[in-house]
Amino acid sequence: MTERSSAPHVVIVGGGGTGGAVAHDLALRGLRVTLVERGELTSGTTGRHHGLLHSGARYAVKDRESAVECIEENRILRKIAPGSFELNDGLFVAITEADEAYEPLFFESCLASDIPARRVTRAEALALEPNLNPAIRCAVQVPDGTIDAMRLPLRFFATARRNGATIKPYTEAVAMTMTATSAGRCVTGVSVIDRTSGRRYEIGADLVVNAGGPWAEKIAALAGVDVPIQPSPGVLVAVRGRYANMVINRLHASGDGDIVVPQRELSVIGTSSWLADDPDHLTVPADHVAMMISEGSAMIPAIASATVRATWSAARPLIGERGATSGRELSRTFKCFDHAPDGVEGFVTISGGKATTLRAMAEAAANVVCAKLAIPDPCRTREYVLAPHTAYYA
Amino acid sequence: MNASADPAYDTHATADTGHPIRLRVFRCRAGDRSGHFDEFRIEVAPDTTVLDALVAIRTRLDPTLVLRHSCFHASCGTCGMRVNDREVMACVTKVLELGTPTVKVEPIANQALLGDLATDMVDFYARFNAIGRSLMRESEWLPDASRPAGVESYNRFESCIECGLCLSACPVVASDPRYLGPAALAAAERAIDEPRGLDPGAVLALIDDPQGAWRCHAAFECSEACPSAVDPAGAIMALRRRAASGRLRSLLGGRHA
Amino acid sequence: MSEQSVVKRGTEGASPRRRGIAGWGDPRGRRLGGWAFILNRLTGLGVLAYLFLHLIVLSLLARGPSAWDGFVSIAASPLFLCFDVVLIFGLLFHGLNGIRVTLVGFGLVVDRQRAMFVALMIIGAIALVVAAIHIFTVG
Repeated sequence: MTERSSAPHVVIVGGGGTGGAVAHDLALRGLRVTLVERGELTSGTTGRHHGLLHSGARYAVKDRESAVECIEENRILRKIAPGSFELNDGLFVAITEADEAYEPLFFESCLASDIPARRVTRAEALALEPNLNPAIRCAVQVPDGTIDAMRLPLRFFATARRNGATIKPYTEAVAMTMTATSAGRCVTGVSVIDRTSGRRYEIGADLVVNAGGPWAEKIAALAGVDVPIQPSPGVLVAVRGRYANMVINRLHASGDGDIVVPQRELSVIGTSSWLADDPDHLTVPADHVAMMISEGSAMIPAIASATVRATWSAARPLIGERGATSGRELSRTFKCFDHAPDGVEGFVTISGGKATTLRAMAEAAANVVCAKLAIPDPCRTREYVLAPHTAYYA
Repeated sequence: MNASADPAYDTHATADTGHPIRLRVFRCRAGDRSGHFDEFRIEVAPDTTVLDALVAIRTRLDPTLVLRHSCFHASCGTCGMRVNDREVMACVTKVLELGTPTVKVEPIANQALLGDLATDMVDFYARFNAIGRSLMRESEWLPDASRPAGVESYNRFESCIECGLCLSACPVVASDPRYLGPAALAAAERAIDEPRGLDPGAVLALIDDPQGAWRCHAAFECSEACPSAVDPAGAIMALRRRAASGRLRSLLGGRHA
Repeated sequence: MSEQSVVKRGTEGASPRRRGIAGWGDPRGRRLGGWAFILNRLTGLGVLAYLFLHLIVLSLLARGPSAWDGFVSIAASPLFLCFDVVLIFGLLFHGLNGIRVTLVGFGLVVDRQRAMFVALMIIGAIALVVAAIHIFTVG
């Protein structure tokens, strides 16, 4: 077991779900961890997503790797974060003939991805969710759920803090301290500004993890490296009223606005997709908002006349080269980039992925980090039950 | 589908809309005795929210602005502020609907300040955590629907988003730091109503206290301010009913015991 | 090097920005219930002050007819009659709002408390007008 006082010091830049989960994983392995985030925790992309706890069914047909990742993490999250999810399962509903024709392939793909799926007749679907479009033809039940987009990641931060990590929100990384080595350069620290006091200071690091989500490229640039992360925003719409207790998905190949996630007393409809350059300048296009309402009401007609609570955009971090024409073609899996081959030692980027896979992303990143720092401790986050989110403020 | 990059289509635009607005934003470093207001000029669209405007200010005009936000749909509870003297969630407050050419933005009251508009929620949670209420409750929506195989009962997240607007609005919290406060008391009422493993008697004993449910003076500002219809004032009165009837019963029961 | 602070706590210098009792006098942003709260306190103090004044005035009786007559002469002046109306407003408000606070405090009429407040204030306003007319016309 690694002794913490002599352990290497890892600085994580980025306080979203991934950063929090990496802090948790590394703290459990005995490393000294400091995490810096320029705003409130999860104020980037993590807090903004619709809150779907993926069963993976959405990817079963076209992106098997993603689907398998999702269902595995779905099971793990239920175990390590009990009491943090609306666990009412989900329905994939077929509205048109084309949807119905897609159903057998969809159902088989779910089973092949180890996703427990159950065929549901039209009558049963309407008994389960009376607000569904009466034109529904059939449905498939899957173990979807709802995540509280901020409070679940906050549990990772709370646990990391309990295990010795230092978490610093409102602390913006503005420069990397680099030292020349025989192989190129090495990152030895992060210069930060504490926005609450205005004070600039340096945090020394044996290794820096870039967990910046769609800002990963901006952060990597501080270290003089380039990472192929494309911000891909999408619009989300929340309406007042809990029209279904289960997550309602459209049974078709992934498209825009094809999911309605219940959350407290709201229904959140998402999402669309386009490519952007700057995650700090996201628009909320009117036509996308209209599309969310129309696609959502195709599944739940009451949505068309519901009061809109909020409309907003969130940028997914997609891995791939710039030049792809639509965000949906890129892979949804996550990747860990060790930048040593780029000539920069002591700097690792983790990006991509989905909110549901935050723990798995962190495991991959932590494994790379520990291999580089010669830490033998294995990952323990699959079983370690997380502290409640309220413990973060204790 | 690719959206046009033309800002005319951006419903939450903060530039080139032809609708200029002034924001007076409270600025203060943690530990300072008093703050000051900075004024920013920005343009807004009909759907632009106070939070959109503040984020644009921080991105384009002043990166030193300390701002707390996360979900953009009043679910996380982090962007509570006093806008034009009223407690609101900034992410669902449209600038133009406020109807004033200058919009005043301050942090919520009665909480320690981290800086500018961001409050330190440690004190809020110290009171909240004492109750120990679960994040989950049984969903009261669609009670006649059947349940799917494998799901015993529908659950949902509690309505309270832990934003602190109620504490900011409460005149008693403003003048007495010992008062437990509407957020914790509303949580206590929920915990007694649906214990989920908690001991309701212990929770009741905790709030049946001069600084608990009995400290409220029925201003009802908390329920007016709450963005999630938690109705803390109603919860406090319900707690008093429980406490009073409990005492009455034990009084009568004691005679016959 | 690496600091030990986590989220900066209130004890590090930023004490809670309580609006405090001074905040009671701040009308900005207050809704009906907040006004009721403030006025209840002001009228309570006012009525208490009146009680002491009243006792002092009554003590004049013990000092004989001339002292009492001296009081009665200013008691009939228009300014004094205005004070009387203000006093009755204070008594009415405190009493009627007090009914609301008492009922609500026992958990009764909680969901209609705003309507009850408005209704009680209307009753009070009518009573105040009647009282004011009576005060100024009784000669």
